Amino acid sequence: MTAAVAQVRRAERLRLLVQPIAVLVLVGGVLAWAFGQDLDSIERQSINAPALASATRDHLVISFAVTALVLVVAVPLGVLLTRRWARRAAPVFLGIATIGQASPAIGILVLFFLVSGLDGLWAAVLPIAFYTLLPVLRNTVVGLQGVDPALVDAGRGIGMSSATVLRRIELPLAVPLILAGLRTALVHAVGVATLAVFVNGGGLGLLIDTGYKLARVTVLITGAVLAVGLALLVDWLGAVAEAHLGPKGLR
Amino acid sequence: MRGTPAARLAALALATGLLASGCGLESSFALPFEVGPGSIRPVPELAGVDVAVGSKDFTENQVLGYLAEVALVAAGADVRDMTNIQGSNSARQALITGDIDLSWDYTGTGWISYLGNTDPIQGERAQYEAVRDADLARNGLAWLDYSAVNNTYAFAVTRSFAEANGLRTTSDMAELIRRDPAKGVFCLETEFVSRNDGFPGVARAYGFDAGAVQVKTFGTGTIYTATADGLCNFGEVFTTDGRILALDLVVLEDDEKFFPQYNAAVVLRDEFDRAHPRVREVLAPIVAKLDNDTIRELNAEVDVDGRDPAVVARDWLVEEGFVSVPAP
Repeated sequence: MTAAVAQVRRAERLRLLVQPIAVLVLVGGVLAWAFGQDLDSIERQSINAPALASATRDHLVISFAVTALVLVVAVPLGVLLTRRWARRAAPVFLGIATIGQASPAIGILVLFFLVSGLDGLWAAVLPIAFYTLLPVLRNTVVGLQGVDPALVDAGRGIGMSSATVLRRIELPLAVPLILAGLRTALVHAVGVATLAVFVNGGGLGLLIDTGYKLARVTVLITGAVLAVGLALLVDWLGAVAEAHLGPKGLR
Repeated sequence: MRGTPAARLAALALATGLLASGCGLESSFALPFEVGPGSIRPVPELAGVDVAVGSKDFTENQVLGYLAEVALVAAGADVRDMTNIQGSNSARQALITGDIDLSWDYTGTGWISYLGNTDPIQGERAQYEAVRDADLARNGLAWLDYSAVNNTYAFAVTRSFAEANGLRTTSDMAELIRRDPAKGVFCLETEFVSRNDGFPGVARAYGFDAGAVQVKTFGTGTIYTATADGLCNFGEVFTTDGRILALDLVVLEDDEKFFPQYNAAVVLRDEFDRAHPRVREVLAPIVAKLDNDTIRELNAEVDVDGRDPAVVARDWLVEEGFVSVPAP
């Protein structure tokens, strides 16, 4: 291992340690500040322990439901699109995912609501999942395409079936890229989940929207900082997963 | 193309000239149509008087602004169209500084947003008189008599739900919820949920338990569709929104007069009003004729049918006989 690589590793390990502490300090600080203010009756409606807990929980549920959905859809789809017989279809699906990502999230959310008539959790999760599909799908495709064909040939040469090659060689080698995509997707999801409030999805957007509309800056800042804290936290979880789930030989 | 330097210079000058005249370095402030007199007759004192009419940036306020413009044109004034000023505060500021002479505002907005009061005053007339007196004394603005257009909060239900449960007023709604709490499903916007004069206040005023009903939180625009789709039984709406007509919703009357009053009225600078007292006389019959049903229809023509607010305003004034369309 070269010195430069070792340095990067050390920085990465330090970050794994520092990031959760930074989140704790940030969230603890803003909560202490918010509760320490002289709150009026409107602010107290939003800034109280049960309301904050329920908004944060809703936000987490949306974010993780989005992630689960994206994993279940994007990874298998990415695998399919890299099979020899389906390769021609890949640009089509990547194109659709790009459209999803490029459209304004609030537009997708409200359009989906108008078309489906759903509200609540799923009215938020489904469009946000569509919005965050791209990073995972693209990274899965790129990760699998990046596997050295010689390794695949070698696997087939020692008598592995194509399913075994996928499971034992291709996927493990693509895992770092897939996880990197997932991490991006998660952070996106936490950010966009602040819009769920427009379709009765709850979440920290409640605080942001209320604070903005009623000119209560304390409420607005509390909601925004909690969302930032959550994004940093899930990013950290992603980093932990990357550090432990990648192929052993490359770790 | 290649030509002599002189020819090229001439072409350049011609192109610049076309740009300056054709595309208008000076924008046009006139209405895009001719207006003739109806019951509003030409007023000699207003002939050639410059009146800059402004409005805020949403449909209803633009339609109201054009109503005033068309009427004043019929009366012979030289109207400058300054409608669609972005944001309530900018429109207000334009009026105070004299960039515009006249615009429509709402009594509740004036009282709470501009004059900085926290609590609305009960009753349309009392609220109007309070804002009129305070704004004249403090800012030199004259509020003309208020119209019956009252763009405030209300609950709306689908027509079938209203008929099935015999709902006409907000008291009927409270009665139904007390009898059958399961029917108390509300679509509200974030702001309304936490305002004292929002949902908690409504529940107190009408005597039902805000904790016992189900509240769904939506963005402002989505509530109309959510209510029409039956995602909730009661949607919080603005009383004059055109979507109420388009989605065939029924607005429940605020019979306890709980919500703040937002009656639309024409506001002028006092010195302008004194210099041209005939302006208020021209507008008075129009103000008297307007009400929520009328403005809702006009709003819907713009928002739902996609018509031009100026044309919608003129057509209504023609229909009511205030003005006429001159033969071409």
